[in-house]
Amino acid sequence: MNIKTTLAALFVAVTFAVSCSDDDNAPANPGNFILAVTPAASTGVADYLLTASSLDTGSVSTAENGVEQDGTYRYYVTHNNKFFSMLYGQGNPGAVTAYDIQAGALNKLTNFQTETVQSFAPVNNDLLLVKIARNLATPTSSWYKVSTESLTITSEGTMNTLDITGDLGELAHFTWIKQVGDKVYAPYQTIKDRSFNTDYPDQAWIAVFNYADMSLDKVIEDNRTSFIGRYFMDGLSIAENGDIYAFSPSAATTGGALSSTKHSAITRIKSGTTEFDEYYFDVEDASGGNNITSWLYVGNNNYIVHSQAKSERTSFPSGRRVAVVNVINKTYDIVSGLPAFDDIASLTTNNYTPKDGRTGYIGVNLKDGTGYVYKIDVTTKTATQGLKVDGGTLTAIQHLD
Amino acid sequence: MALLCACGIFAQAQTGSIRGTILDKTGEPAIGLMVKIQDLALGAATNHAGAFVIENVTAGKHILLVTGIGFQSLQHTIHIETGKEAVVSLTVESSSTELEEVMVVGRSEVQETNRQAYNVTAVDAKQLYNTTLDLAGALDRVAGVRVRESGGVGSSFNLSLNGFSGNHVRFFIDGIPMDGFGSSFQINNIPINSADRIEVYKGVVPISLASDALGGAINIITNDRYRNYVDVSYSYGSFNTHRSVINAAATSERGLQVQLSAYQNYSDNDYKVKVDAADIWTGAYTPGAWVRRFHDVYHNEALIAQVGVVKKKYADKLLLGITLGRNYKEIQTGARMVSVFGKWHRRGDVVTPTFKYRKQDLIKGLDVTLNANYNLGSEQNIDTMNVRYDWYGNSKPNGTSGERSRSLYKYKNNTGVATAMASYRINDRQSIAMSDVFNTFNRKGSDVLNPDATNPPSKTQKNVLGLSYAYSKEDAFGITLISKFITQKNVVAAQEARATTDKIGYGIVGTYFFSTSLQVKASYELTNRMPEAQEIFGDVENFEGNPSLLPEQSDNINVGLAYTFAADANNKFLLNANGVYRYSRNFIYNRLNNNQSKLIPDNREGVRTYGGDAELRYSHKRLISAGVTMTYQYLQNMQKIEPGYTGVSPVYLDQMPNIPYLFGNADVSVSLRDLGAKGNNMSIGYNMLYVHAFYLYWPSRGSDKLDIPEQLSHDVNIVYSLKQGRYNVGLEARNVTDALLYDNFSLQKPGRGFYVNVRAFFHKTSNN
Repeated sequence: MNIKTTLAALFVAVTFAVSCSDDDNAPANPGNFILAVTPAASTGVADYLLTASSLDTGSVSTAENGVEQDGTYRYYVTHNNKFFSMLYGQGNPGAVTAYDIQAGALNKLTNFQTETVQSFAPVNNDLLLVKIARNLATPTSSWYKVSTESLTITSEGTMNTLDITGDLGELAHFTWIKQVGDKVYAPYQTIKDRSFNTDYPDQAWIAVFNYADMSLDKVIEDNRTSFIGRYFMDGLSIAENGDIYAFSPSAATTGGALSSTKHSAITRIKSGTTEFDEYYFDVEDASGGNNITSWLYVGNNNYIVHSQAKSERTSFPSGRRVAVVNVINKTYDIVSGLPAFDDIASLTTNNYTPKDGRTGYIGVNLKDGTGYVYKIDVTTKTATQGLKVDGGTLTAIQHLD
Repeated sequence: MALLCACGIFAQAQTGSIRGTILDKTGEPAIGLMVKIQDLALGAATNHAGAFVIENVTAGKHILLVTGIGFQSLQHTIHIETGKEAVVSLTVESSSTELEEVMVVGRSEVQETNRQAYNVTAVDAKQLYNTTLDLAGALDRVAGVRVRESGGVGSSFNLSLNGFSGNHVRFFIDGIPMDGFGSSFQINNIPINSADRIEVYKGVVPISLASDALGGAINIITNDRYRNYVDVSYSYGSFNTHRSVINAAATSERGLQVQLSAYQNYSDNDYKVKVDAADIWTGAYTPGAWVRRFHDVYHNEALIAQVGVVKKKYADKLLLGITLGRNYKEIQTGARMVSVFGKWHRRGDVVTPTFKYRKQDLIKGLDVTLNANYNLGSEQNIDTMNVRYDWYGNSKPNGTSGERSRSLYKYKNNTGVATAMASYRINDRQSIAMSDVFNTFNRKGSDVLNPDATNPPSKTQKNVLGLSYAYSKEDAFGITLISKFITQKNVVAAQEARATTDKIGYGIVGTYFFSTSLQVKASYELTNRMPEAQEIFGDVENFEGNPSLLPEQSDNINVGLAYTFAADANNKFLLNANGVYRYSRNFIYNRLNNNQSKLIPDNREGVRTYGGDAELRYSHKRLISAGVTMTYQYLQNMQKIEPGYTGVSPVYLDQMPNIPYLFGNADVSVSLRDLGAKGNNMSIGYNMLYVHAFYLYWPSRGSDKLDIPEQLSHDVNIVYSLKQGRYNVGLEARNVTDALLYDNFSLQKPGRGFYVNVRAFFHKTSNN
C-alpha cells in the first residue's frame, strides 16, 4: 500500500535524522596538562577533564571534547603521578575516578568509592580523607586511608572532634590537612553550628596527628591571627628548608557576620619545632587592607596569592585579585597584566607550578564566559595570557608526567 | 432482544409525536444513539437518560431505526396517530464491538472523545482490564507519552507528553485535579480496572479541566457505566507482587447509590540490578555486578466509599465519600544508584472526604458540576540508622546523621481542592463554559529527633478561573476559544509573604472534517503554570524543593490529523499524526542537585520544542489488531546567558539533556472467538517498547560521555475470557528478554517478570 510505504519511509527518516553523533574520543589537544572545566550552565551539570600540551599557548574547548565527569562539586588531586577526580556528594558515598596520562590522553585506571569528605591530602603513598562532624551532638569524625597503589581503602577510624578543642565546647572543623614529616597537621576553625559560627574568632589552632594511627599528638595554638586557611582551602605551606608558613584570611563569623578583630596575616612554625615562632607578616598592613584567600607556593619563598579588598570580604572568601608575596622579605605586590578586575568572574584555586621559584599558572574565568590560563612571573610581578579555554569555567589545572 | 411497546394519547393536529426511552441489556440508559424515522427526514439522539423525542411526525405507520456505536442496530415499527404521542421503550443489544468495527462503523465514547476539536487521545481502559497494568502502564503505550518510573511497584514516576514532563502535565480523575491526593493515590498505583477510559490531551486543555497545565493533561474517567455490579480481580507475579481490586456499586430503584472501590498493591521489588557494587570496607568496585534489591518493599491499600443519590430531579449524581488509604515504601536508592539505603523508609496515610455533584440541564442547557476534597492524611519520613549500606546489604557505622539525614519527620500537607464548573448550551452550535479550581497546600510537621528545628511556613494557594466559548457543527467543524486566569500565593521560609502572582492565558482550538474519515485539528495557546507545592517545598525524600522557582509560560502550537481508511472490507487502517511547536519561558525542569543526591526543579530562561508523533493501527477482521507509535521531540535550550556571565552560554541551542527524544511502541494482538465454547474468547497480545539512547548531560559537551543506553523491551500476554467476559484469566510476561531498562538518571527498572491475573465481573440487569 502506498500510504504504508510512505509511513515506513517517514519513520525511517525520523530515525536517521536523530541518530547519534560520532564517537571519536581522542582529545583535541593531547598533552600532559589536565584542566577541569564546568560548562557555565548554572549547576548540576557534569565537569569535563581536558588535556593540553601547553599552558602558555593554544586553546581547548569542552565542545565535543573532554572526559565527562559524573556530576559537578568535584575535587581534584594528583598524587603518585595519578590524577584523582573525587565527587563531593553530601550523604552519598564519594565516587572517585583515577586516571593517568598515556600518549597525551587521560586513561581511566579505576573507579572506587570512598566517603564524602571535607579534607583530603596525599600522605606517604596514600590519600588521607577526613569526614568532619558539624553537629555538636554528634561529634564523631571519620578518617580513611586510601592506597594510591591498590586504590582501595586500607584502613579507617574515628576521632572526637569536640574533644580536640578542650573545654571550648565547639567542634574542631579542619580547614584542610597536610603531611609534615611523619605527622599530619590539621589547621582548624572552631564551629558551634552548621553555619560555621564561632565564639572564638580571634584564634588559630593546628591539630597534630600521628599518621600511623591518627592519634592526636598535640594542638598548636596562636592568638595573633584568626583560624588558618578556610573550608576546603589549604592554609599551610612547607618551604624548602622545612619551615611551615600559614596564612589566615581573617574569615571567622559569629552570628552570621564576620567577627575577627585579627588581621589577615602569615605566621610560621620553624622546621623541627611544633610551635609558632615570632614571625608575623601583617598582610593587611602591607597591602592596604587586602587579605589572602588562597595561595600557590612556587618555591624560593615566593607565593602567588588571591586576595580580597577590605570591602569585598566574605565568610567563605574567594579573592579575585592576584598578588605576589615573598614571605622572607614580607612583600606584597599586585600582579599586572591580568584582565580588568570587573571582568573576572572567578580564579581557580587548584593550580599548577613547576616549583621553579618563579612561575605559576592560574585560571582566570571571565564574565563573558571565556577562560584563560595566565602565567604569573613572580620576579616581574606580571601575568601573561596563555591557553584559552572555551565552553566552561576552569576549576583546576594539574599536570601528570 | 426484548421489545416492549406502549402507547399514550395526546391531542394534536395532523401530526403526532414519539417519546421513547432506550436501555441496554443491563437496564442502563443507552446514550447517544441515533433514532431515525425511515423515509422521513426526522430523527433524534438519545440523551444521558436514554430518552428521545421526535415531533411533527406525520400520522401513519413508520419504521424507527436505532443505530449507535456499541449496539446492534434495531428496527421497530410504530403507528402514529394524529395529535397523539406514541411512547416506546426499547432495549438494544450490545454488539461485541471490536476496535476495527468501531473504527468504521461508528464511534464509541473513546472515539467520540478523539473527535473533539482538542488534540486528545482516549485510551479504552476496558480493553486492558484483564492485564495487571496500572494507569501508568496503559499511558506508556500512547503516542507522544513516555512514563518514566524510578523502579518497580510504587516507585515515583514522571510522565512526559510531547516534550513536556513532570508537572507540565496535569492529572485529573473525573475532572478533579489529583494534585493533593497523596502518595497512595497516583497513576502508578491505581489499577486499570478503576478507569473506564483515559483521556490524554496534548496541548490545549478544555476548560472543564481547569488547571494551569503547561503542556497537556490526563483525565481518568472512572467507571460508572453500570449501576449494579461487582468487579473483582487479583494478580500475582514476580518479585512477590500482589495486586487486588474490588469495584462495586449498588443502586436502589429510588436512586440511592453506594459505590465501593478497594484495592491493594504489594511488592518486594527485589529484582536484580546491574551496578558497580562497591565493597563497603575497601571501596573497591566490582564492575557490572548483579545484585538483588533488598530494601524496596512497597505496599499500599486504599478504600474509596461513596454514598449518595443518582438521577434525581436536583442531581444526576450527588455523592459524599471518603478515601482512606495508607502506604509503606522502603527507599532503596537516592537519585542515583550509587547511594544505597537499607532502612530508610516512608509511611503515609490518606483520609480524604470527598463531595461530588453533577446536574445536567439544571435549567435547560445548563450543566453544573461541583467537586471538593481535602486530604487530612499524614506522611512520615523515617531515617534513624546511623549506618551506610552497600549493594550487598552490608552496613557499617557512618557517623551520626542517619543514612541520608536522620529523621522521624512527620507532616501533613493539608491539601484541598474545590472545583466548580458550569456550561451552557446556547443552541445546537454554541456553548459557553466557566470553571474555577482552587487548590490549597499547607505543610506542617515536626520531628521528635530534631525538636528544635524551625519548620518554616510552607504554604501555597492557587486559583484557576477559566472561560470558554465553543461553536461547532457536527461532523463539519468546531472552534473553541478559551481563557484562563491564574492566581498563586506562596508563603515560603523566612522570606516575607510573597506578593501574589497573577497570570493570564488564552488559546484557540479548531477542527475541520474533510470527510467523516479525515479530520484535522489545530490549536494555539499562551499558557502559564505556577510551581507546584512539591516543586516549591520538596517531597522530603529524593526531590528537593526550590522556593525561588518562577512560574513558566509557553506558546504552544499543535496540529493533528486523524484519518481512517480501508484497503478492503477486512483490512482497515487508522492514522493519527501530530506536530507540536512550543516555546517556553522560565521552563521548569528537574536536574540533579550539586551533590547528585536529589533532584531539584530549576528554571531555564527558554526552551524550544519541535516534535511530532504518529500512530498507525491496522486490523484484519476481528482476528488481528496491530499498531505502531513513534514519537520524536527535540527540546532545545534557548537560554543565551547564564547567571553571572555576560557571554553566550556554551550550551545555548544545545539539546536538553537527560530527556528521551525518540521512542515508540508496537503491539499486535490476536483474538480467537468462541474458543472452547460459545462466549469464550482468547486473546494473545504482544507489546514492544523502544527508547533511543540519550545523554545524561548536555550533548554538545565532552567526547567521552555518559549516556542512558537504548532500551528495547517486549511484553506478551494471553487472556482467556469465559461467559462473555464474566470470568477472565490472564497471563503476562513482561520484559521477556530481560533487557536492561533505565529511567530517570539511570535508575534501573525490573527485569523479566511473570504475572497471572484472575478477574470476575458480575452485573445485575435492572428491571425498570
